[in-house]
Formats: sequence, C-alpha cells, structure tokens
Amino acid sequence: MTLERTVVWVHRDDLSPLSPALVSHPDAPAIFVFDDELLREWKISFKRIVFIYECLLELPVTIRRGDSVSEVTDFAAKHGSNRIVTSSSPSPRHAQIVSQIAQRSEGRLSVDIIERTPFVHAPRKLDLRRFTYYWNAVKDNVLGS
Amino acid sequence: MMDLKRDFANRDELIAYLRDEFAEAAAVDDHVSETRGGRAAAEAQLAKLGKGKDYEASRNYVHGPVSRLSAYIRHGVLSLAEVRDAAVAKERLSEDAEKFVNELAWRDYWQRVYAEIGDGIWDDREPYKTGWDRERYADQLPDDITAGDTGLPCIDAFVRALYETGYLHHHVRMWLAAYVVHWRRVKWQAGARWFLSHLIDGDPASNNLSWQWVASTFSAKPYVFNRENLEKYTEGEYCKECPLYGRCDFEGSYERQQRRLFPNADPSVFGGEDRRSFGRGRGRGRR
Repeated sequence: MTLERTVVWVHRDDLSPLSPALVSHPDAPAIFVFDDELLREWKISFKRIVFIYECLLELPVTIRRGDSVSEVTDFAAKHGSNRIVTSSSPSPRHAQIVSQIAQRSEGRLSVDIIERTPFVHAPRKLDLRRFTYYWNAVKDNVLGS
Repeated sequence: MMDLKRDFANRDELIAYLRDEFAEAAAVDDHVSETRGGRAAAEAQLAKLGKGKDYEASRNYVHGPVSRLSAYIRHGVLSLAEVRDAAVAKERLSEDAEKFVNELAWRDYWQRVYAEIGDGIWDDREPYKTGWDRERYADQLPDDITAGDTGLPCIDAFVRALYETGYLHHHVRMWLAAYVVHWRRVKWQAGARWFLSHLIDGDPASNNLSWQWVASTFSAKPYVFNRENLEKYTEGEYCKECPLYGRCDFEGSYERQQRRLFPNADPSVFGGEDRRSFGRGRGRGRR
C-alpha cells in the first residue's frame, strides 16, 4: 500500500480558513500562487493584491509568485506528495491549471477537487437564460420557506 | 521561486513590502483600499449587517445600508450560504430578508452561468438591442474617462473612487457602465476589463455579465439613467453645485435619453415601460 501524501492548493476564489480543502486536510502543507500571467493579463491593481495578501496572512499557506502549474508541482515535489487537493471554482483557468498539473507530471500527481458549500441545492436542472427563471426555481429553497 | 514573506509588524510594513514585490502593479496605481482582507475583517463586517426591510427601502441610495460584503464573498472568505443564513437569522419572518437574499442569488446565478459558458462571458451573449451594431462601439476606453477628466463632476468622482478605494456602490457601477457603453459608445468588454483591474470584489462572472446586462447583450433592453435619478440617489452630492446643472448630458426624461442615444432601436424594446423599471429589482448582487 502506498502512503498518500497530500498538499493543498488554495486559490483566490476560496480564501477562507473554513475552505473545505484546508479543513479536510488540516495537517497538509498548503500553497497559494500569485499567478504572473493572470496579474499581467487582468492588470490586477495593487489594492487588489493587498486585499488578497491580507486574506492569505490568516491562512496556513506558503505564498509564492510565478506560474501556478510550476509552483504547485514544485511544492508537491518538495513535500514528497503525489496528491493535490483544491476546492472547486467555475473559472476555466482553474480547470486548465488542474489538467496541466496532471499532464506535466505524467500522472504522478493526482488532483482532487472538493466542492464548496452551495448557496442552494437546485431542485432540478436550472434554466439559466434569465435570472427570473433561476430565481423562481430556487426561491423557496434559498429562503428556507 | 522564493516563498513570499508572511510576518509583518503592521499594515504599513506589509504594504511597503508588497510595493517592492509587486512593483509593476504599484507603478501603475499604488492606492490601497480601506477594505481589509481576511476572515476577521469579514466577520466584523458581517456583524454589522442591518435589517432586510431597511436594505430593501434604501439600497439604491449611494449612502444607503448596503452590506459591503462583496469583496469577502468574491474571494470565498464568506460563503453566500453563511451570509444568507446571517441575514435570515436577523428576521422574525424570513421573507423580510428576501430582497437582500435575492441580491445574493444574483451572484450565485452569475457563477452558475460562468460554470456553464466559461470564457464565453467575454462574448456578447446576444446582439445589442440599441439599434447600433457592435462594430459601431469603440474597442478602447477614451483617455478622458480613464483619466477621470470628462468634465462631468459625477462621472469623474466615480472614476476617482474606483481608483482610490476599489469599491463602487452598485448604482454607481450601473451609471458609470451606462455612461461608457451608451453615452460614449464603447464596447462593454473595455469597461469590464477596467473594472476587473480595480474593483476589490472584481469577479469575472458578476462583473462581465452585469456589464452585458447594462449593454443589453444579456438583457431585453439597454440600461440608461437620467440626471434626476442620479441626483435623487446621490442625494444631490454632485448635482447641487454642478456647473452643468440643467444642461448636462443626462438631462431629460428616460424617453428623451432613449430617443437621443438609440435613434435606430426597435421601438418595441422600450415599449410601454416607464422609467421605474430601470432602477428597481435590477441589482446585480453587488454590494
């Protein structure tokens, strides 16, 4: 049996100490990466960086700057890990990073995504063409009435 | 790559360190927001959440009782579910929290759309309903807007607030977005990129899809406003001493704005709806 060593990758959609990825792996080393490409592409302003950094200082994470795929992979290698845990995100960039980590490591690293607490359990597949359709479908569940 | 530093004696020391580490961003604009990051600050703000009926009555006023939780929600520091639970717990009847919860739901809705269409949030979801083809809209923001030098005191003040604080009240976002897209005829994507760069709560889904709502590429009609509306909800803050009062770009009825801005639009787009439909029930989960 192989002992599974896990690291947690924290991303900027989930900067809470109650992040399901952190809470479910309290002893695992964790990392956050300021992604250079994202900072450049979105021209993320200094005030946004300060806010995110202040959030990070309350989390048990190593903070790095660079390319997310390289930094997370390197962090996992440093800790002799073969499994990365992260929380879910709707961002296509998140999905891209997850798949590139698996690809570049040629299968040595697996990435598990933990779902964050949903706002509402949808009663059925939601019609998202307009907010009104969505709201009418979820309203009672959301308000608990 | 080296690990970045985690121990600081105080906020000033942290900011000085980050000015060095992120020198490129600081060189463009080194303002720091008063909104502090972190769960402790988020919980303190959540504890200040007011009653649902007060929120419902006054949320559209720029100094109204909005929650100021958006930056924490955007970064997952607070979950939508826990904010909803806190709001409902304050009420004897959960219905009294409905308007606030409805605004939280806008954010959930945008996130679900994002999960479905991904980078499609950067594309027009539908054609503009303004009577102008998308080719008639400029690709870039004009310099006078980004410099906060349009000569319109309200608009220039909104731009300064965006840069200096990283926060704009939701009504201000709507006015500024409408000014950019409809009065200056700039593609909403240019404005969306600008907001994402500066807003502490900048989230691609809520941001882009709200810009699309204003532009009419994700709504049935373009959002516009007039001076009367801005004057009312800012409580005269900019209009009172404005040298352009009575002759600014926003004077006149909604019908006049529509005729002037969208002379080629299909009249049925605006058919039969009065101006109240623009300011009510159309928030986008931005607080």
